[in-house]
Amino acid sequence: MPWNVIKVDKMLDPNQQFRGGVFHHSIPDGRIGADIRISPSEIIAEPSAEALSVMDPSEIARMPRWVIPLSECQVDLGGASGRMVFCRNKERDLTIFCEERGFAAVLGDRSGGMLSEQLHLVKKRQAGENHRFRFWLTVGAVATLLLGVIGYYSVLAAARLAIAAVPISMDEKIGSMAMQTIEKEQKLAADHPATKFVTEIVDRLKPHAAIPEMNFKVIVIQSSEVNAFALPGGQMVVYTGLLKKAETGEQVAGVLAHEMSHATLRHGLQRVSQSLGIVAAIQFLIGDAGGLLALGSQAAQTSILTSYSRQSETEADLEGARMLHEAGLDPESISAFFDKLKKEDGDIPGVLVWVSSHPLHEQRIESIAKFKSTLAKKEYGPLDLDLDTVRKSLQ
Amino acid sequence: MEVEIRNRPAFANLLVNLQPGDRIIAEADAMASMSSTVDMTTRMNGGLLRALARRFLGSESMFVNQFTTNSSGHIVLTQPFPGDIVCVELRGNTLFLQPGAFLACEPGVSLGLGFAGFRSWLSGEGLFRLKMSGSGRIWFGAYGAIFTREITDEYIVDSGHLVAYEPSISIRVGLAGGIFSSFFSGEGLITRVRGPGKIYMQSRSFDGLAAWTNAHLW
Ligand SMILES: [Zn+2]
Repeated sequence: MPWNVIKVDKMLDPNQQFRGGVFHHSIPDGRIGADIRISPSEIIAEPSAEALSVMDPSEIARMPRWVIPLSECQVDLGGASGRMVFCRNKERDLTIFCEERGFAAVLGDRSGGMLSEQLHLVKKRQAGENHRFRFWLTVGAVATLLLGVIGYYSVLAAARLAIAAVPISMDEKIGSMAMQTIEKEQKLAADHPATKFVTEIVDRLKPHAAIPEMNFKVIVIQSSEVNAFALPGGQMVVYTGLLKKAETGEQVAGVLAHEMSHATLRHGLQRVSQSLGIVAAIQFLIGDAGGLLALGSQAAQTSILTSYSRQSETEADLEGARMLHEAGLDPESISAFFDKLKKEDGDIPGVLVWVSSHPLHEQRIESIAKFKSTLAKKEYGPLDLDLDTVRKSLQ
Repeated sequence: MEVEIRNRPAFANLLVNLQPGDRIIAEADAMASMSSTVDMTTRMNGGLLRALARRFLGSESMFVNQFTTNSSGHIVLTQPFPGDIVCVELRGNTLFLQPGAFLACEPGVSLGLGFAGFRSWLSGEGLFRLKMSGSGRIWFGAYGAIFTREITDEYIVDSGHLVAYEPSISIRVGLAGGIFSSFFSGEGLITRVRGPGKIYMQSRSFDGLAAWTNAHLW
């Protein structure tokens, strides 16, 4: 037996009940959940078991069944899903509605095709509406995407321009706020050899910074992480893990020059203003960025300030290289530290934070070398600071 | 179970008088005070996955609290924003609720989270909605006053003002005027609802509050 014959048989089950409801002025509150049957001549609705469970006996006794003869039934489709079938009587004061699958088919079948035709017309009208909606939805989505892309690049460009107008004191404020959230218990004392070592390097590089009057400060934090970063305004953090990993003082100087450049080039503020712009854009598009912000804010606080785009990294490399050159140190000290980390494959990658936030690109090493070749030839001296003593003090 | 809506409409709250055998289910943060004779049990709202979905997609709590008593006692339930509360009795029918509006219901009511569709999302009514069905009373709140309206034909509501509606209501998004006047008049998108059925609207919208707050913060 073909499957469609079975389907028709099932549809013709005279006792098939559908869950739905009734709108009628005789019902308190005008509506009630109902079980619906379709006889060969009528649509019959009776209060559902759920409805009866909250009605008192006198009300139940008064409650009739609602009947619409198929011959005078007017059907319509609609509701939140668009699939709800409404059956109305001739006076249009009684509505029996049902959303269950199969209801429309049985209704059409029982009415000898008359109601199917009505439903078909409504469906056609609906399809046209849906079609228009989808068209405008697509137009809207494309326009939004386009606006988004244009907006994104405008925000990036505007951020760069706007930063120039913001005083350096703003960098310092943001940097200090971020500093407060960084773990300070593990901070080494100011007179610790490691702190004195990095402070001395920063002091020597300072006169050659793009903004020499920037209030550079550096602290050392006891941690096995190989990491260092600069906050807006010139506050820097170096982890002891990095000092242990570095082979020479010049490599540490290379990292510090790079980080100082992030501060003087104001990359942190750029990131903040870009992020703000993007959040504002999200807010504009989806109406509520609050949840998103709450999710990310804690984790993002320092990472926004200390992880930069590739373009910013290259800028910091070259500016750092320039500073090293001016200070009489080899610009390729930056590349040397990359190289050293690259060779150590035995290390746990998770600990090498500075590397993961500064992805190792041959390109960057190359661009530093290229930049160095454009500088005036100069004898680079060694850094006359003793890294070994520092490392011993960290054992 | 006797439930009174007090301090209407601005700071409405529910005073629930419980007798042995009574049970009321309320949104997790709704309880403001209760008698020591009332027992509170917390249960996950409709299984872990549905609860998670409700929590993350419908901005409703993952948990609901159930209150019972062995002797008698009362509970006060409140909503987190100022506004009115209404009571609707379900009799086998269904009501869709804006996520966040739900306050409490009787045990015969079942709660579910459903996808409301892009039309609803575009009109500022959220991508998801709570589906309340079964039998019993439900209480839900709104920001500001609550208006109800029986829709027979078509009606227009500003986006973000629709709190609840019946499944027999269809929702379409529209522009308040032409593309440009809609954008610049601040009316923007509107919601066209078509009956038959009832809608519940709030007199204030959270978008309006957010805009007002932002304007005064900067
Ligand atoms: Zn960097």
